[in-house]
Amino acid sequence: MSAPASDAGERSWTSSVRDHVAGLVPEGQALPDRQPAYVASWIYVFGVATLAALVVVVASGVVLAMGGAAWWHTSSLGHFMNSVHLWSVELFFAAMVVHLWGKFWMAAWRGNRGLTWVTGVVSFVTSIGAAFTGYLVQSNFDSQWISGEAKDGINSIGVGGFFNVLNTGQMLLWHVTLLPLGVGIIAVMHVVLVRRHGVVPPLDDEREEVAR
Amino acid sequence: MDIAFTAGKYIHWGVLSISLTNFLIIVGMIVIFVLALVVPFPGAHERRQNDEDDS
Repeated sequence: MSAPASDAGERSWTSSVRDHVAGLVPEGQALPDRQPAYVASWIYVFGVATLAALVVVVASGVVLAMGGAAWWHTSSLGHFMNSVHLWSVELFFAAMVVHLWGKFWMAAWRGNRGLTWVTGVVSFVTSIGAAFTGYLVQSNFDSQWISGEAKDGINSIGVGGFFNVLNTGQMLLWHVTLLPLGVGIIAVMHVVLVRRHGVVPPLDDEREEVAR
Repeated sequence: MDIAFTAGKYIHWGVLSISLTNFLIIVGMIVIFVLALVVPFPGAHERRQNDEDDS
């Protein structure tokens, strides 16, 4: 029986990954129970409101996926879940945009938080793609109209050859797999970065901390 | 067919055109944004006081 690699002075990839994950956020900051006093403001609640809405979006989307794309046309429960999905998306975007306004006017990229800002922007753009494909898979005249109008725009930016908005099956798969996966991964990165660097202090806060 | 083209109310301002619903939603979001800046958060004063006492 050979000795463990760590005894021989070599580090396995599992321990390297473990150390990397453990070092992503400072100790105690993954789920903190205290925040600086300046966080006690309504403008700071819109980020977590966006996350809460995203949870409802994903949960209602999972239920809709079980019933199928046309379920909501024939079932009152399906129609209800479709409405929950739609309105949680509306709240998701409204909260995200107010969050964006708040962070823009407090210059939230200060203190080595540039990547946090960028992941927020990418998350926003990816979410727009997810919402857009959602409109295309309603399987009604609205989705037919939107896809007919959108095809020219998509073609004009040169991606219509492999992203065909008239192909309902392709749009449905993008909507339920690739785009939610993208939004989820970027949202996790964004939250980890917020926890890593802390919540940005107000511009006029005299006790602005040194970025971690 | 006429119904489809006349459905909804639109506001026109030069080259800009926006549905009344979307306009009201944007106005509502701006109102919420301003309220979030000016409405005091419950317990905010006490927290700042405690923070200053600790430092």
